Amino acid sequence: MENVVELKNVTKAFKGFSVKNMDLQVKKGFVTGFIGANGAGKSTTIKLMMNLLKPDAGEVKLFGLDYKTHEKAIKERIGFVYDGNVFFEGLNLKDIKRIVSPAYKNWDDIIFSEYIDKFQLPLHKAIKTFSKGMQMKASLAIALSHHAELIIMDEPTAGLDPIFRRELLNLLQELMVDGNRTIFFSTHITTDLDRIADYIAFIHGGELVFNQSIHEIAENYALVKGGVELLDRDTEKDFVHIHRTSAGFQALTDNMKAVKHTFGDMVVIERASLEDIMYNFKGGMHHV
Amino acid sequence: MFNLIRRDVILQKKQLLMFIPFILFFIIMDAHPALIFLVASIFIPFNTYAYDEKAETNILLNSLPYTRREIIASRYLGAIVYMVLAVGVTSLALAAFNKSFSMTDIAIGSGLFLLFAALTFPLFYIFKPGYISAAVMIGFLFLAGVGPRIVLFIAEHTTAITDFIASLSTPALYTGAAAAITALYAASWGVTHIIYQRKAF
Repeated sequence: MENVVELKNVTKAFKGFSVKNMDLQVKKGFVTGFIGANGAGKSTTIKLMMNLLKPDAGEVKLFGLDYKTHEKAIKERIGFVYDGNVFFEGLNLKDIKRIVSPAYKNWDDIIFSEYIDKFQLPLHKAIKTFSKGMQMKASLAIALSHHAELIIMDEPTAGLDPIFRRELLNLLQELMVDGNRTIFFSTHITTDLDRIADYIAFIHGGELVFNQSIHEIAENYALVKGGVELLDRDTEKDFVHIHRTSAGFQALTDNMKAVKHTFGDMVVIERASLEDIMYNFKGGMHHV
Repeated sequence: MFNLIRRDVILQKKQLLMFIPFILFFIIMDAHPALIFLVASIFIPFNTYAYDEKAETNILLNSLPYTRREIIASRYLGAIVYMVLAVGVTSLALAAFNKSFSMTDIAIGSGLFLLFAALTFPLFYIFKPGYISAAVMIGFLFLAGVGPRIVLFIAEHTTAITDFIASLSTPALYTGAAAAITALYAASWGVTHIIYQRKAF
């Protein structure tokens, strides 16, 4: 399968925080959701993909090209949406379009006006008067109007009301009908992903924990409940995190098959939601 | 790249309305033509930095299909383009008010502008946003106020240099100054380019 984004062994260190040995592939034609707690390194990773940050070590490739020699060609093919407004806030959408559109060879005014109509955005009002949702719609309209093959979004749903969040997710789904598009977006609202993501990449403490299809995650990860007497050094191996109470234990496993094999019917195995997975990783990975 | 230069006009549409009254004020105050050329040239390029020092602007520009090299080049080339336009408009305004001015005034005004730009542009990429615009503007007013006195002081006290400069013929003096300013401008461009390449957003 073709990868649109490829991070190989990428490391980027800051004071007190770093992204370490990141190996991440984003597959062409799919929606990849990028999850992790606040401060896990999601925005840093996205900035590395956009060449806003340069890695200390490792390799970043988009569409098989590297930024050193093909920066413009790569960015022509990306539509970006950031968490905050990056457009000149004193300008109206019409002027912003006049600044942004000449940058792209494939800019399409017709598509842009379609989105403006669809999102009911005013062209002559300053961006700073827009609500958070309208600002998001405006960035989205700009990101989608140059036939980008890859849409990168940093927390697009943060701060949006549930109705618009759902509209946005529907819109993203519509975009994916064209099989050449790839969407990569970060979020900490995991319920967004159940609806549209094909792959989930999970980052924790600057390290990529996994990048698997929704299907694989459902096969591998599970919540396991049972009596504490079942736990010992050997059986604990298959758990990522164990929570013990007097009544028994609840644990997250990343190897459901092994757990079934070890415990059989003595434990209850439940589907782990993405939130369960994120929560159980919070205390750090304990392969106890 | 042309788009990056043109962007300044779109951004500053409203401020541009101020441009004419701004120049007229100096003309009516009977300021020296060289000073008017200098002030007029500074108007657009430095206004742009009020926007460009913001992190969001850099994130936007760097996410669009531009290279960092182009972004910096557009600053330096744009400054020259807007300087030429400003000189044109100012000349017309001066002519309209029947004020006399010479090519020397234009040369001195433009030369000082380029010198000022060369010295301050890199600062915009070194210092934290929010402080630098104010610092540069205060610096400019300070230099405009005290600068000439310092030059006079140096001229009086270091006779060797003054004698050397005085010994030069006028064409040699101007050519020398032009060459020095061009070299400084180019060096400033190079420095800013290197700083910007390393910047993280």
